[in-house]
Amino acid sequence: MTVNHFVILSALLFGIGALGVLVRRNPLIMFMGIELMLNAVNLAFVAFSRFLQSLDGQVFVFLVLTVAAAEVAVGLAIIVALFRTRATVDVDEVSGLKG
Amino acid sequence: MDLIVFYLFATLAVIAALGVVALRNPVHAALCLAVVFISLAALYVLLSAPFVAAAQVMIYAGAILILFVFVIMLLSPGVDQGAGALKWQRPLAAVFGLALAVELILVLASAVLPAARGQYTPERLAQIGDVQAIGALLFTDFLLPFEITSLLLLVAMVGVIVLAKKRVRS
Amino acid sequence: MPDAQTLTLISPELLLSIFGLLILLVDVIWREKSQSALPWLAILGFALALAATLYIWGSNISLFAGMYMVDMFSLFFKVVASLAGILITLVSIDYLRQRTPYRGEFFAIFTFSILAMMLVASSASLLMIYLSIEFLSYTSYLLTGFLREDKKSNEAAIKYFLYGAVTSAVMLYGLSLLYGVTGSLNLTDIAAAFSATVDSTVRMIALVSTMLVLAGLGFKISLVPFHQWAPDAYEGAPTPVTAFLSVGPKAVGFAALLRVALTALPQWVLPAPPPAPVKEIPLVLAVVSIITMTLGNLIALRQTNVKRLLAYSSIAQAGYMLIGVVAVNLTGNSPFSGLNGILIYLFAYLFTNLGAFICVIAIENATGIVEIPEYAGLVKRAPLVAALFVIFFLSLAGIPPTVGFIGKFFVFGAALREGWLYLAAIGVINSVISVFYYFAVVRQAFFEAPKDATPIRLAPLVTLSLVVSAALVLAFAIYPQPLLNLAAWSMGMVK
Repeated sequence: MTVNHFVILSALLFGIGALGVLVRRNPLIMFMGIELMLNAVNLAFVAFSRFLQSLDGQVFVFLVLTVAAAEVAVGLAIIVALFRTRATVDVDEVSGLKG
Repeated sequence: MDLIVFYLFATLAVIAALGVVALRNPVHAALCLAVVFISLAALYVLLSAPFVAAAQVMIYAGAILILFVFVIMLLSPGVDQGAGALKWQRPLAAVFGLALAVELILVLASAVLPAARGQYTPERLAQIGDVQAIGALLFTDFLLPFEITSLLLLVAMVGVIVLAKKRVRS
Repeated sequence: MPDAQTLTLISPELLLSIFGLLILLVDVIWREKSQSALPWLAILGFALALAATLYIWGSNISLFAGMYMVDMFSLFFKVVASLAGILITLVSIDYLRQRTPYRGEFFAIFTFSILAMMLVASSASLLMIYLSIEFLSYTSYLLTGFLREDKKSNEAAIKYFLYGAVTSAVMLYGLSLLYGVTGSLNLTDIAAAFSATVDSTVRMIALVSTMLVLAGLGFKISLVPFHQWAPDAYEGAPTPVTAFLSVGPKAVGFAALLRVALTALPQWVLPAPPPAPVKEIPLVLAVVSIITMTLGNLIALRQTNVKRLLAYSSIAQAGYMLIGVVAVNLTGNSPFSGLNGILIYLFAYLFTNLGAFICVIAIENATGIVEIPEYAGLVKRAPLVAALFVIFFLSLAGIPPTVGFIGKFFVFGAALREGWLYLAAIGVINSVISVFYYFAVVRQAFFEAPKDATPIRLAPLVTLSLVVSAALVLAFAIYPQPLLNLAAWSMGMVK
């Protein structure tokens, strides 16, 4: 078991998350894709931290966890507000602004 | 033995991650996301980072996922219709392609990783305790980011209440 | 517990945190009575933070285990941030009174967003860069979507948010790779690790992870291809927030970019085995800069909504500023170092663009107009605003006698010094193109007959901030010496 195992897994998860953001249109699912990407990054950090024998990476992960929690709250609040004013959460139907 | 555990949870994580992006029903996607979170927690234990593993279960599988499910229930957005890219999404694809390319390089570069040896060997961590070591770092070297995080959470909380609460103050 | 010296050195940040919390507290305790006092509390906070920044002027010290640099470079941005805070608060007072009951929360979140700007400017570790940029992003998302009953505001927020969250994840991935190959989060240690290695795989990883980080920062700066959020977010956000979005994130995006460029990868040199290194990154940045300038300007030509016009103009402006980043070279004691060009340009752009947006707010507040055809005959209805529009547009186009000209002069000069002849030439051509759309607005305002000739009454506070920003734009054009000194000092201090 080497750092490469984890780094490859992390790349795979990051790629899958990115794919989710790219192909899905429901903001909730796009958002889950973003969470997958963040988790992939965390895995890379913990793996590097373990094999570098430094705890900096783990501390980084803790702060990313906290920031991700705030991000989810903010993002979902925006989605809820959006839903209240127009009763849809499909990004394609959200097009009052041209562009 | 370690390798078997790794492959078990790695496979689980990848399959569940594919489920998140492929399943039409948001509730099913959220459940798959839970499986990813928990498999990663298991991998963190394997990487001798039990504290991160516990936090992963509590914050991701506990708080974040519950929030997702709440919002899905609240909005009941129904089933996502088909796949298709928005026009602003395409340029991003190039970036992600790049990201994956790096990984291949990293694999080839096994000789140069890791770059340096720090003081926290698994044995030493077991001796002083994972939680203690991280706690001490958070309140010494990483004091500033720690405090900033508290402000960030406060601001997020205030903003979320303004955006999402039901009735407007007159 | 940090000692007294450390606390003094972070006093601007501490003051803003205290005032942000105070606003929330006062708002909760004296709900109705305090409403009109809250913005002034924010302004007091910014003024005190500005004073504190000037008090520690000249410091050059790294704090919190090398994570936080208090140097002239960061102090420069702190001055700019507090001034921008004061101006934007002044113009939001009337705007918000008509639109939202949650003004206390607005001013508190806005105070924290200025705090986040200061934090980014001083960050010297990957962790701090990530954290403070995220802090700024969340406050920006919240402020963008703040008018929760307004469909446009919601829509702007969701687009801004989804785009921002993805690019920040990409940036974070780049940061994790940098940590993996160098074993450190600290920019100085990363530079040391890079200079100690000549491995070609490390070089490849360094190159790609730098590109990923650039993607994250490029979103903040609104560089093509990460610019699509900008027009929608600018159009939908409450206009004072748009003014903030057009200057705040851009300024700190450049601050972080420069900090990384100058500390972790001195002069953009990646670790390389002999022979001499190829400079891939400046090349990539040069291409991005050309596309950003050209695309921003060409699309701006077709806009009819003034907020969207300024959005595309600000994308183009980011392209000009990027020229300075491409040409950064701190060797020799030249005034054309690139760095001081960007700092002068940023300073010029910030107050010019804020000024232009304040003009827009002045008109929108009084009449609700944001479409350019309706600006017809503005000079008869609001002569001051029409006249100042001309000054700000001259400055944005880089025509003397305005501070915008001085900014462009030093940025293009740096490009020439470094041998980026074609880059400077394309920059000049683009500036000429930009004159067309800026003056389309001026033509409407001056030479078309108004449909409705009633004079527009301006709120006193808006007039005040208009005059202040116009004064800054003209004063530094006529007497630029302090600005040049400022930039020269900051330059010597970046390590």
